[in-house]
Amino acid sequence: MLSPYRVLDLTNERGLLCAQILGDLGADVIQVEPPGGSPARTLGPFFQDQPDPNRSLYWWAYNRNKRSITLDYTRSEGRELLLRLAKDAHFVIESDMPGQLASLGAGYTDLAAKNPALIGVSITPFGQDGPKANYADADLIVLAAGGPLVLAGDDDRPPVRVSIPQGYLHACADAALGALAAHHERCLSGLGQHVDISAQQSLALATQSGILAAPLGADEYRRAAGGLKAGNMIAQLVWPAKDGFISCTFLFGSALGVFTTKLMRWLGEQGWCDAATANRDWIGFGAALASGAEPMSEYDRARKILSTFTASKTKAELLQLAIEKGFLFAPISTIEDVVESPQLRARDYFQDLEHPELGRSFRYPGPFVKFSESPIKYRRRPPLIGEHNRDIYCGELELSELEFSQLQARGVI
Amino acid sequence: MARLPLEDVKILDFMWVMAGPAGTRMLADYGATIVRIESPTRIDTARTLAPYQNNTIGPDASGLFSNCNAGKFGITLDLGNPRSREVIADLVKWADVVTESFSPKAMRAWGLDYPAIQAIKPDIIMLSSCLMGQTGPLATFAGFGNLAAAISGFYNVTGWPDRPPAGPFGAYTDYIAPRFTAIAILAALEYRRRTGKGQYIDQSQAEASLHFLSPALLDYSVNGRVQFRAGNSDPDLAPHGLYPAKGEDRWVAIVCRSDDEFARLCDAMKRPELARDARFATAADRRENASALDEIIGGWTRELEPREAERILQARAIPAHFVQNSREFYDDPQVKHRGHFVELPHSTYGKVTVEGPRAKLSRTPAHARRAAPTLGQDNQYVLEKILAYDEDRIGDLVASGVLG
Repeated sequence: MLSPYRVLDLTNERGLLCAQILGDLGADVIQVEPPGGSPARTLGPFFQDQPDPNRSLYWWAYNRNKRSITLDYTRSEGRELLLRLAKDAHFVIESDMPGQLASLGAGYTDLAAKNPALIGVSITPFGQDGPKANYADADLIVLAAGGPLVLAGDDDRPPVRVSIPQGYLHACADAALGALAAHHERCLSGLGQHVDISAQQSLALATQSGILAAPLGADEYRRAAGGLKAGNMIAQLVWPAKDGFISCTFLFGSALGVFTTKLMRWLGEQGWCDAATANRDWIGFGAALASGAEPMSEYDRARKILSTFTASKTKAELLQLAIEKGFLFAPISTIEDVVESPQLRARDYFQDLEHPELGRSFRYPGPFVKFSESPIKYRRRPPLIGEHNRDIYCGELELSELEFSQLQARGVI
Repeated sequence: MARLPLEDVKILDFMWVMAGPAGTRMLADYGATIVRIESPTRIDTARTLAPYQNNTIGPDASGLFSNCNAGKFGITLDLGNPRSREVIADLVKWADVVTESFSPKAMRAWGLDYPAIQAIKPDIIMLSSCLMGQTGPLATFAGFGNLAAAISGFYNVTGWPDRPPAGPFGAYTDYIAPRFTAIAILAALEYRRRTGKGQYIDQSQAEASLHFLSPALLDYSVNGRVQFRAGNSDPDLAPHGLYPAKGEDRWVAIVCRSDDEFARLCDAMKRPELARDARFATAADRRENASALDEIIGGWTRELEPREAERILQARAIPAHFVQNSREFYDDPQVKHRGHFVELPHSTYGKVTVEGPRAKLSRTPAHARRAAPTLGQDNQYVLEKILAYDEDRIGDLVASGVLG
């Protein structure tokens, strides 16, 4: 879909997903790495646990459908080459700290000077400006600043993050969206512009709008093991199963209470609770708890009934019930369950990509959506360091063999 | 005011609850005109969800609903009433894109699936978003984003290794999938611009979200290793965690990405000798002795206000931030500087606050233009201004009860 367009990806480990999304959509993405390779290549885990820049699974995860060149653009010769590449590019994505590229003469303004249609995208922890713009960062830092962290975890321990880093991925997806919105406008105006992404702001979306509690004058959400607390209510989302855990939405009110009514009636029929409990007004139950008309002990009793039931069934049995009866149950899958999922297999989700350098192919998570006319294709496995130097420098920038080898000898490439 | 980037884009939006509407909301900010269909009888679940304006439940009180639907027009249509078809057909002709997020089969049951929509407008782009996708044994598995997040693996890798999974907060895939919804629509518009062809997009919210677990999925498919929840620890770095600050349930996140940062942390704590302590010489040593190290750091942070700990550490360029709740995020000078929150006029409450657009475009910035519609708020506007129906026709539709 984006096959006419070229993307220069200057990002480090913070920003790789953005250009991969554009590459999945067909763009020609050139990952520009420092000589020796991107710092993202040092991140594990590694293929067969052998640390090697071409075996980083973090690198593999976010660099398919890209080509790689090496270029030291902190040096003026390198910077000149970058400016030449930018002249024919449509997007440039970067994730250095604010002002860092500009200080090298390689900021968006420099790169767009000879190419006003260029769209520049910057992905940073806190955005390009403001009192925290230069804060030292990490996944855990932007999660703490952005709002989702305080909401997750057991209430007798510190809040807890997803063990697979998430912070910058939210920012990268916003960045791809911003780039495409700017591109849509460019098709009308012929002009590029700069897109500025703050991971802190992107993460606020991961609070289920709980971030609005203060301006609305509403209760702050607070974390509870496997759920959340708002006021005196605990919404429990993690429940025991015979062979692990499930998530179940057991809530009240005019929309969610309908599901709870259906579930409790059925549990009554099956003998898991008395008729009075099964048939009570579950839609109004939340409001009754909030007003004190019902004591919290009644809610605890209902949760006990449900958890005794779920603990007696396997994850698969509960999923089957969810499909047959429309109950809001889902298994809490392990990573293995996900990769082995019959649903994902039936949809041919995982894609095999061949790594000729290792003599075998590997199974990658598949397209993020299925397009009927222009399906996403995995055209290239993640590149080795500088794998496309010759193609791009000699083939496309038309450097002579001599110039190319001199640049190599000087360590620019 | 500068032209908005998507000013020429028109979307007919059947989506409801969270994952779907949050995606089209992003396009509304960039200027797309969006007409949202709501059932007059089966209320959108999102309208019932917290947080509530003034902490009070009410039909227009949901902050979640207003956050997901700002900038859109709303019309109520009873899809079970045959008179809805003429309105929908005209809206399809008007639209570039049709979106829906019901469980599969619902649109077919209404006679509004892609073949039916395409018959009305051959180059239409239609996107369906549901938990597991339109096909496969779990296609009809319906529910909310907490279920998709659980079945996609996010819950099991969030929490403490010695405890049941805690899960990320709430309907986690509903925070990821909407970005890919909006991206897919913009990509399909670009394809139609160049080829003249519309298409159908089948979005599984689970499949889109799995891109956020790619390294762990590869670790299993490549190495056979099943990654598990690991609290706040990092496989390479230490210290890496949340440390208690002064007050009840106050925490500060601290990470050292290098030995230099660790040495600076030791200075900040006025314990420079720790940087020379053999137990803490390298990241690997520090990981090995993490509990002793965490005890020392926690002893220091415990005496400090959370913001003070952050200030001391960031002044030395050490990654640190206190763990913010909504109030603290709202008051954060950085958040204020960036103009994250936007106040919009609202017919019930005078004004409501929503989050603004996240991607800042330098030349044609996006902005939230109007509050989310109250139920049926724009019936007249849509019929009269967008569809150019005359007064008699509108009166006839009202009398038929199709608007509720």
